[in-house]
Amino acid sequence: MELADRAVGLLLSSISLSIFTYYTFWVIILPFVDSDHFIHKYFLPQDYAILLPVFAGVTLLSLLSVFIGMVMLKSKKKKA
Amino acid sequence: MKHVVKILSLLVAVSAFWIVLLQAAIVPQSHTLLLPIYFVVSLGCYGLLMVGIGIMQFPTCPQEADLLNHVLSLPSFFLSYVVNIESFLLTCFSWHCRILQRQKTF
Repeated sequence: MELADRAVGLLLSSISLSIFTYYTFWVIILPFVDSDHFIHKYFLPQDYAILLPVFAGVTLLSLLSVFIGMVMLKSKKKKA
Repeated sequence: MKHVVKILSLLVAVSAFWIVLLQAAIVPQSHTLLLPIYFVVSLGCYGLLMVGIGIMQFPTCPQEADLLNHVLSLPSFFLSYVVNIESFLLTCFSWHCRILQRQKTF
């Protein structure tokens, strides 16, 4: 039981750390690197750095509101 | 309260710095939202990291688990509480508190 817990925790923290380092590199370090450097191959164009989180955030918010709306409708149906 | 004030003042300082950079045209206007989005993303990553670390460090108290299993397997434990339901609930609650106490001491 403990091993499964630790594996899940390790997976979660590694995912978050990798996302953080990738995003930091993308946003802060890459603008100061010359455009001919090979490292630019591994990163998407800079415009996606703003679009992707905004898109993810909007998706999350819409999913949350859909869930809340469904729960509210269900509770109203039960009462009536 | 002091902690919140510290964090808020830090946030105000960083946003002032960002606005100064924007006005001085060091950062192009198209990238206005870069800093707030970066902070939101890093906040989300920090939350996930804390959750992951908490899951890894969660103590399972195997001693208490064994003791509890042993106690619950004895029928005399339940028979002694047939008359008095309050003391039974109180015992369950004290077990819970004991386990919580053990978990708080990392």
